[in-house]
Amino acid sequence: MRITLGVVLYAGCAWAQSGIEVPAIGATVDTAGTLRVVQGVAGNFWLGPAIASEVLSAACSERMCLAKTDSKILSATGETDAPPGPAIFGLNGNDAIVYFPESRVFARWHEDALDLLDWRVDGEVFSVRLKEIAVRREGEVSIVHSDGSVVVSIPDGSGPVLLLPEGVLFATRDQIVLRRDHRELRLELTGAESITAMGPHYALVRTGHEIYALRIEAGHEALYQLPGSAP
Amino acid sequence: MTRTIFVALLVPLAMHAQIALFTVNNGAEVPIGSVLDMGKVAAGDTASVRIRVRNIGTQTARITYFFADGVGYTIDRPSLPFTIAPGSVQDSLLSFSQTTVAPLYPANLRVDSDINSVSAIIIANVVLGPALTVFPACTGSNGPPASIDFGSVQAGQVRLCNFSLQNPSAQTMTIATFTVTGTGFQISAGPQAPFTIPAGGAITFVVNFIPGAAGMYTGSLAIETRTYTLKGTAFNTPLPTPLLEFDAGAIQSGQQRRLTMRLPTAASSSASGNVNLAFAPDTTLVTDDPAAVFLATGTRSLPFSVTQGSTLISIGGQTSAMFQTGTTSGRIRFTLAGVATVGDATTVLTIPASTISIDSSIATRRTGDLDIQVTGFDNTYSAGVMTFTFSDISGQPLSAGAIRADFTTDFRTFFTKTQAGSAFQIRVSFPVTGDTSGIGSVDVQLSNSAGIKSQHLVFQ
Repeated sequence: MRITLGVVLYAGCAWAQSGIEVPAIGATVDTAGTLRVVQGVAGNFWLGPAIASEVLSAACSERMCLAKTDSKILSATGETDAPPGPAIFGLNGNDAIVYFPESRVFARWHEDALDLLDWRVDGEVFSVRLKEIAVRREGEVSIVHSDGSVVVSIPDGSGPVLLLPEGVLFATRDQIVLRRDHRELRLELTGAESITAMGPHYALVRTGHEIYALRIEAGHEALYQLPGSAP
Repeated sequence: MTRTIFVALLVPLAMHAQIALFTVNNGAEVPIGSVLDMGKVAAGDTASVRIRVRNIGTQTARITYFFADGVGYTIDRPSLPFTIAPGSVQDSLLSFSQTTVAPLYPANLRVDSDINSVSAIIIANVVLGPALTVFPACTGSNGPPASIDFGSVQAGQVRLCNFSLQNPSAQTMTIATFTVTGTGFQISAGPQAPFTIPAGGAITFVVNFIPGAAGMYTGSLAIETRTYTLKGTAFNTPLPTPLLEFDAGAIQSGQQRRLTMRLPTAASSSASGNVNLAFAPDTTLVTDDPAAVFLATGTRSLPFSVTQGSTLISIGGQTSAMFQTGTTSGRIRFTLAGVATVGDATTVLTIPASTISIDSSIATRRTGDLDIQVTGFDNTYSAGVMTFTFSDISGQPLSAGAIRADFTTDFRTFFTKTQAGSAFQIRVSFPVTGDTSGIGSVDVQLSNSAGIKSQHLVFQ
């Protein structure tokens, strides 16, 4: 085995010759409804270029970003007609489970096509993933199967939930709780109104006045405020 | 036949009413009768009244004569001749001034048009007026217009003006009009009208100026025939020098920190302004770090306010303000604007140069390639030299030893072009011949002017 002594920079990135680019942690919808890249490193963020306008909802993973306008789902490869209103995305590899709150419809998104699912879940849906749904019913937050049967209850959860591939992130009245690998991390934050997937290592938490980037990467968990997020 | 005569008589009368004279006071028109009395005018003073010529007919009136024929009277009006359209008006200023005391100064005010003429008798009574003296710190001006300047005063504080009102005549003088008007101005000591001043005598009085808030103030002091404009300005009370404080811990790049502001002693009056943030980098490669901002707005200025009696300063409506330190060594300067302070509240935070900060890193292997990705920032803007030491899965360094690469030019180009701070993500690929599965880890060293940062990465 031999390693060549010459160093070859990675080609195919934005800075093709240098291999250096501006880091990005994900994307967020600003107050004007524009989907924008969130650039920077932990503790030092700024809102970068616009990706799309008139966006109601968005979610990003390591592989893709999906955005919902009033009538379409946008991706890097195309767009798909979709029920009106916002959407809740559960990204999974190259696929996504999508919930449309206004029509209370679930669907599977794959390669810019949408297949409706016959899932029926009562209550307020907060988050979806491959076969599970985070929902609040009669004041109690729980994770349920697509047939409505309860997987696990979250007794101290009061508000939004984000189902992670290997864990769950939820809000209490004054905390954000990251539960993963039988461990729990609690961060002080009052008034969380929504939690969405901003990028592979960050969740976006909105309160009434501010937007926070919660780093969920194991060993680096921390809560940061995004700049320019006041309404 | 009777009807015909009646109509014929009406026509000349209507023509006579083509123009009419009015006085205008605060926008109100008052018809001038046969006599216009300008009242008492203090010797040496000027009394003025606005005269309005209104065309009340249906034809354009051509004014050919418009004078006040009498000693001491002048009219400020357009050059003759001029026209007035039906329904329109022409305002002019009639003024009178005389230094000799006399009970009657008459004049004949006459306006001729091509259709009719109107006239009135004007009278004025020139009297010896009282003499007003103002004492420092206020100052007076005879004008016109006559005015008293109270100077500049802190909002909420009192400025007293002492006056003396003398009667220079040989007779007792009655003062029937003696009033002060205007927000912030009031007579605090002195007689109440009506009162008399004996021949050659004087009275004293005091006018207070108490402005409630910063701004410019005007009022008036009316004494018989004279009206003095009262003027004063008010400024906010200087705040005790605000203390700008930060949450605990050394200030470094890549941080979100909390700014609080308070006063060492309670504010004597409410005040508001802006706290501003500015960044000066150590490097000459960039001129700024745009990520150094207040987080609430993503800007470099936030409003602040403090209420009277409090030491707590609210920033943007909150008890504190979060800001980012950016990714550049240099100085963050906080300054206050829009408010007067006893001392300079400017506070400077020094962001020290540091070794490269690594936010995340990963090493992956592909067939024929080993990929290393590092995300971080270099607040010195001097990054470039890197060394990579690969080890096998047992931890033994490969025989190739440390591989050195110099990306200085690439980094400088990147920093200069982006002008967005020093955050970077670099991806380096090493072409490999043979089976990459035998390579277990790599030790990466990233150098900048502050030192060397080492990172051990295990290939995934």
